[in-house]
Amino acid sequence: MKFIKNHLMFILPLMAILLGIEFYLVFDRTTNSYEKGLKEGYSMLVVTNKPMELSVFKALNRHISNAQKIKRESIVSEIAKGVSKSSSKEILASLPYFYNVGLDSYLSTSGLNKIKADLEADKNIKKVETFGSSYSSSYRLFSFIKFTLKLFIVFMGVVSLFLIIKQMEIWKYAHKERMQVMEIFGAPLMLRSGVLFKVAIADAFIATLLTSAIFLYVKFQWAANSGIDVMMENQEELFRLSDIAILLSSALLIVVIAVYSVVFSSKGVEE
Amino acid sequence: MSNVINASHITLAYDNGEKEIIKDASFSIKKGEFVFITGPSGSGKSTLLKALYGALKPTEGSLVVGGLDLASVGQSKLQELRTHLGIIFQDYKLVNEWTVAKNVVLPLMIAGYSVDVQNTQAQRLLKHVKLSEHADKYPLELSGGEQQRVGVARALSKNPVVILADEPTGNLDDYSSNVIWDLMENACQQLDTTVLVVTHKIPTIFSLPYRHFIIESKGVYEVH
Repeated sequence: MKFIKNHLMFILPLMAILLGIEFYLVFDRTTNSYEKGLKEGYSMLVVTNKPMELSVFKALNRHISNAQKIKRESIVSEIAKGVSKSSSKEILASLPYFYNVGLDSYLSTSGLNKIKADLEADKNIKKVETFGSSYSSSYRLFSFIKFTLKLFIVFMGVVSLFLIIKQMEIWKYAHKERMQVMEIFGAPLMLRSGVLFKVAIADAFIATLLTSAIFLYVKFQWAANSGIDVMMENQEELFRLSDIAILLSSALLIVVIAVYSVVFSSKGVEE
Repeated sequence: MSNVINASHITLAYDNGEKEIIKDASFSIKKGEFVFITGPSGSGKSTLLKALYGALKPTEGSLVVGGLDLASVGQSKLQELRTHLGIIFQDYKLVNEWTVAKNVVLPLMIAGYSVDVQNTQAQRLLKHVKLSEHADKYPLELSGGEQQRVGVARALSKNPVVILADEPTGNLDDYSSNVIWDLMENACQQLDTTVLVVTHKIPTIFSLPYRHFIIESKGVYEVH
């Protein structure tokens, strides 16, 4: 019972850290695709005096990734219904040029204002409409959710790390006597700490396995049957096989650091 | 005969040299000698023993054990030296989560002997200290005297060059004390092992010739 308790006291906080790491990975992947959707769905309207190439827009601001010309003929056909052909031509000649301008990333409102200012500095650009208010509310909500979740993950990681350190203190106490006796009889560091390493590495594997199992369940059972669109659409992002490698390496790194801290702080033979 | 231990003007102290226990002591011990170190409580007997297995470095002087100056030796050399020492403690210092047999063969395990050799040695040594039937028990299941016999068996398991014993019979009954003194006498006589025993009192029945040092007023003096 004591043996199981000792292991659980190490495995659970380690799992909490691994869950935090996996949450971060999943969150990063899903928000990236959401961000991509927001970015792709957004464009600003630019009105110019003369036709402009994409390279000219890019020269004005590096965040501009595409510029789609809006056909003026269709605008004229709408506003010049019942007007003679020659009058239509005159209207067409006097109309400015319209562009839907897309960006390479999802920028903050200040970034958006900077683009607007850069574009309006060009004498050939008459007007820039960024649709800033709707953009800003989406961006703020998105940033807030992102920040809150990251804060929660960091908090969870810190608390778990403290629990691991606490458990290490118990391990240190439990193994101190044996390690000191072995040291007195000349055992090298690796032999003295061999048992601790074996136990900790086994715990790292167990914690990785359990964390992976939770996310595999979420991916294949819960998300698939949840009926929540965003979950079903992003099912692939919920857990990847490469995540197991990331989780295992993180777990091993944590336990190696933890065991070494115990081993070095247990050097009690010398006064 | 060559000196196995050679102390030259050593000072032993705690608290970064502030609390001196032994000051400017010099002595030497040859191979195969049996030595008793006595002195009042708190005089520094155990401190001297600690210094002899490298757990406390002299703040001054040189302390050479098995050809290594412990005042300046590195960690790996010190580990190597310790594998040639057999150390016996008053509080036994057995690993309580290990069986008696595993405790006995700890020095062999550290030296990398095979499990077969370890098992054979464990049986032989436990028979020697009259504890064969307790091989699979754990130290806390044994009496104090039995635990100390396990400690002695462990110290003897790799035929050490030097045995260092700190009050080995301090709290033991006569039977266990006699067994332990016999074992150490045999090691000294038959294997030419140097034995250095820190004790309050030299046993009344002791058949081997021995040297006697006393620690007094921070000095180490030989009693002739």
